[in-house]
Amino acid sequence: MPTVVVMDVSLSMTRPVCLDGSEEFQRKNLAVHGLNMLFEHMASNYRLEFTALMAFSSLWELLVPFTRDYNALQEALSTLEDYDKTCVESALQGVSNVVQQEWGSACPCQVVLVTDGSLGIGKGSLRHSLQTLKHRGDDKKFPLPFPFPTKMFIMCVANAEELQTTDAMDNLEELLFLSGGDGQILTVDGPLCMKSVQAMFGRLIDVAYSPFHAVLHCGNLSSDVQVFPRPEAVVVDDEVDPIPRTVNTDLKIVGFMEIGDISSPPVISRHLVLPIAVNKDVDDVGGGATEELEEEPSASQAAGKSPNICVLLHGSLRVEGMVALVELGLEWYGMLHSQADSKKKSNMMMSLFEPGPDPLPWLGKITHLGPISEAAENPYGEDDSKSPFPVTPQVKRSYAQNVTVWIKASGLQTDVQKILRNARKLPDKTQTFYKELNRLRKAALAFGFWELLKGVADLLERECTMLPDSAHPDAAFQLSHAAQQLKRASAGDPQYAGFDHNIVPIPTDFSS
Amino acid sequence: MRMFSVAHKTVFVVDHCPYMAESSRQQVECDVLTKSRAQGVIPLAPVSKSLWTCAVECSMEYCRILYDIYPRDKLINYIVSDSEFHILNSWMREDQSTHELMSALAAVGPPNHREDPESCSVVHGLSAAVESLSKITELQHEQRTALMDTAERVANRGRIICLTNAKSDTHVRMLEDCIQETILEQNKLAAGSDRLMAIQQCELVLVHIYPQGDDMLVSDRPKKEISPLLTSEVHSVRAGRHLATKLNILVQQHFDLASTTITNIPMKPTLNVCEQEEQHANTSANYDVELLHHRDAHLEFFKSGEFTTRENGLKETITLKWCTPRTNNIELHYCTGAYRISPTDVNSRPSSCLTNFLLNGRSVLLEQPRKSGSKVISHMLSSHGGEIFLHVLNSNRSILEDPPSISEGCGGRVTDYRIADFGEFMRENRLTPVSESSHHPSGRLPVERAKAQIDRHTRYWPMIISQTTIFNMQAVVPLANLIIKEALTEEDVLTCQKTVYNLVDMERKNDPLPISTAGSRGKGPKRDEQYRIMWNELETFVKTLAVATDRHQRVLDCIIACRSKPPEEEERKKRGRKREDREDRTEKNGNKEVEDKSWQDSERLKVLLDKEDQESEVIKDSPDSPEPLNKKPRLTTEEVQPPERAKGPVSLLTMWTNRITTANSRKHQEFVGRASSVNNKFELYQNLKDENGMDVHENGKTTR
Repeated sequence: MPTVVVMDVSLSMTRPVCLDGSEEFQRKNLAVHGLNMLFEHMASNYRLEFTALMAFSSLWELLVPFTRDYNALQEALSTLEDYDKTCVESALQGVSNVVQQEWGSACPCQVVLVTDGSLGIGKGSLRHSLQTLKHRGDDKKFPLPFPFPTKMFIMCVANAEELQTTDAMDNLEELLFLSGGDGQILTVDGPLCMKSVQAMFGRLIDVAYSPFHAVLHCGNLSSDVQVFPRPEAVVVDDEVDPIPRTVNTDLKIVGFMEIGDISSPPVISRHLVLPIAVNKDVDDVGGGATEELEEEPSASQAAGKSPNICVLLHGSLRVEGMVALVELGLEWYGMLHSQADSKKKSNMMMSLFEPGPDPLPWLGKITHLGPISEAAENPYGEDDSKSPFPVTPQVKRSYAQNVTVWIKASGLQTDVQKILRNARKLPDKTQTFYKELNRLRKAALAFGFWELLKGVADLLERECTMLPDSAHPDAAFQLSHAAQQLKRASAGDPQYAGFDHNIVPIPTDFSS
Repeated sequence: MRMFSVAHKTVFVVDHCPYMAESSRQQVECDVLTKSRAQGVIPLAPVSKSLWTCAVECSMEYCRILYDIYPRDKLINYIVSDSEFHILNSWMREDQSTHELMSALAAVGPPNHREDPESCSVVHGLSAAVESLSKITELQHEQRTALMDTAERVANRGRIICLTNAKSDTHVRMLEDCIQETILEQNKLAAGSDRLMAIQQCELVLVHIYPQGDDMLVSDRPKKEISPLLTSEVHSVRAGRHLATKLNILVQQHFDLASTTITNIPMKPTLNVCEQEEQHANTSANYDVELLHHRDAHLEFFKSGEFTTRENGLKETITLKWCTPRTNNIELHYCTGAYRISPTDVNSRPSSCLTNFLLNGRSVLLEQPRKSGSKVISHMLSSHGGEIFLHVLNSNRSILEDPPSISEGCGGRVTDYRIADFGEFMRENRLTPVSESSHHPSGRLPVERAKAQIDRHTRYWPMIISQTTIFNMQAVVPLANLIIKEALTEEDVLTCQKTVYNLVDMERKNDPLPISTAGSRGKGPKRDEQYRIMWNELETFVKTLAVATDRHQRVLDCIIACRSKPPEEEERKKRGRKREDREDRTEKNGNKEVEDKSWQDSERLKVLLDKEDQESEVIKDSPDSPEPLNKKPRLTTEEVQPPERAKGPVSLLTMWTNRITTANSRKHQEFVGRASSVNNKFELYQNLKDENGMDVHENGKTTR
């Protein structure tokens, strides 16, 4: 999930913060300090995240386009300049443009808005934007909600009390609500200082940028893995089941399938599954991070040499052209598969299906997939020539069952012509003739279209009179028989107008 | 769309009063004469559909599209109203099909002229519709049961689509009031019932149908709120084509549908389908087909605002270009959604050509027509089990691009993974659908059984070639394949035991083992050490599975009994297992003899015995020199040798064991037990028996 950091560089950010007995800081310095900490954290623990840095005042500027180069981001932070007033709306418009240009409108994004809670004055201020929200034309719409799913984190270099003395907090809350409500407003606890701002960014890291660690189990074989990006909680139906579902930290493989059988299934998100070596001796305390970094080369080398199920699994999935079904939670499944970025580089990917018992109709209920060893005979055949998939529904869809639709005149004409064409080829086409005739009859009865039955009966009688001398005598018998049967049906005679009744050929004996 | 939005329940109320028999005055020429036959034939007079026929066929089209796209849990209840109401089907899932409805409609037939117009009214049907909406559906019932104490989250909403010929706007208001009242009454009833639910929201869609050329007596009215429970909208439509269009728009609005037009479909791939239509067989024009599907398939387009909205609130159809599939290459596309489709014009030739092509198993990629720039594949049409889906493919930049290769991470530097073996393991652990009606004795769901199988198969599974000996040996394969089964047959046990004896033979023959020498200097471990490693591994492997059943345990016992071990270890084991071993013996012996016979080549025998001699010389000084492997076999042969065989030529086994025994007896003092045994049997733990006065339990197994 890419991140856009939107940094307020208006004059109010240069307001000094009084610290006892030390040098004077601006709010901007505190914000930069916090962001540096975030970037450092991401560089070491969340380095696959694409992050962009944008600065805004009354205008906005993309300082660093989406990148994984955290040095570049930190460098840009160190060269921030100060500009005029805060204008959140134009900045958000900028975010919308930048994100859609890069990722389209389907990719969820995180927006980290760093500001001091002084949200501008007059036109262009957030208050003004929100007040005029409902009186706008289509061309001047407020940029929220973004077209893409958004997680919005509003980082205020101010404490909550300060924000509540004005309407700033209310405005920010409304902003968060407009963005879709997914996210948080974070404020500084206590007096403004390096430490308290650090703590605030620490909370952001915990919520949004802590790596998702899980254990991948293939029976008794298992490995610690990092799942990137963090799988988000999903709400399937906010009315029936409003509690968001989260991915378990134990990912259990339940079985395997051919790629052809799983057949490009729809997925709600995709994640890299990266095996990790968990150093059990070192506690995961914030301060330990730097130490771990130093140890890494040797530790990772050692880890590279000890066999890991992820690598084995990936290799075999790739060679065999298969996927592994993996259980993510209660009635929630996904698949593990090999994903090649290029010819050389390939990796293990986990794609999440929609939560629910049967995310893919062609597999049936996932809970009702069992081991092939239980089947009387191997459903894949001895030479893998067969497959038990796809599961076919009991009822065929309309396009697979030759339905009759006469909404357009051409539909009706085609059906009548088909009957006549076959009528002229009696007795060779007796079967087809009656099949088509019965199809038309059924539809006409269901639609209460008795007039048509009479009409077709007349047509058949006419065909009968027009039979050439060379015609087989059976043709005349069948035509008049069919015509008579249709006429009786069109009179509503229950004996002849039954839906499931079929007109059958009249038995004749011209065998000689 | 929420599970229990108004779309969950739709009631069709179709007016069946005598006035509906009136002609729509839209004529259909069904006698299309071909040129060659035109002379002298008077064409049949055109037929025209009645208002009833129009209403029925358009409502059936609505149902067809709905069932194609939502085959489950978007339900229709069809009611016909004249002097009374006729309910043609129920909310039951099994009743939800156009075939069921058509059959019921045929039984109803067209409106009856003779019926008294005064007693006939659509009101009967509308009241029945409200009653029907308060009836609980299977899904509502399931969800209420599943949610238990939060069952109130299951909402009850619904929609009534009334196809009628109303007299006036006042008449329409009367109908609305009637529904409003019935809802209030019905909700009172529902409060005291388990099978009824109060209606929380009802949407009335009244479609006034009038014949072509008549004046419009009822005016159109957009949706308005009659009460917090009821909204109503009125559509005044001419019968025929217009009605069909109207209902097509309604089904799209009601079920969040959108339209895609596939363009540039070549005739070629479907020639076989189109042959019947001789007159068109030579046409090679590309054609277009319009499909309906859930509108989320167009999410990307909606957001980017790339296309226009029509007056009725629906979006214009999106045109996507057919890309002729080149290969049938199986690929895993990154697909963000798959939506069922329904062709708008289902039995038109182009539609059926396209759907048949897809139903035959080919997939088609669809390209976004762009004015400039490179071509973008954004969708794919594909059928799964007779259902066609429009897949949405991701065409944006991936946030996971340029990931670290798996070879750079943990375990990435290891090169001798058992990739092929794991592939075999995966194939054995493939899944298959199990009928929901079948019940397994364990009571566990199939997927739980699948997990249990994976668990069993991986109790002992070395990941790299250099970590294992047994899995690199062809000879172990039969046992390895069988022992992981949940339950073994007698025959399986036999096969496993054969495998073990085969290994014993190999060891006797001193066959080389595929032990990895990687990492160790020189030639690696000595042959006997190799066998020790192999036996250890085999024992470990089988031990992980032995707890499952007695038969598994017997295989383990067989291994422990047959493998060569240092004497003291062997002795310790033997104590615990002797009794079970005995059970195996009979079968074992039988097998042995078969093998023995083939061995009676004296030349070979000699060579082997010589070899054994040399080998034992070497072993002598080794601290973990193996216990003679024949202690058991010797017992066996002596005990169970059939009398007639005893007189015959001495078997190889006997010769060999005798020889080894003599050789070994020189190396150690005879055990007290054996020395003082009666008939080669010595009862162990005699003291215990004396103390308890009963049989001893060993290894948790009774001797009974």
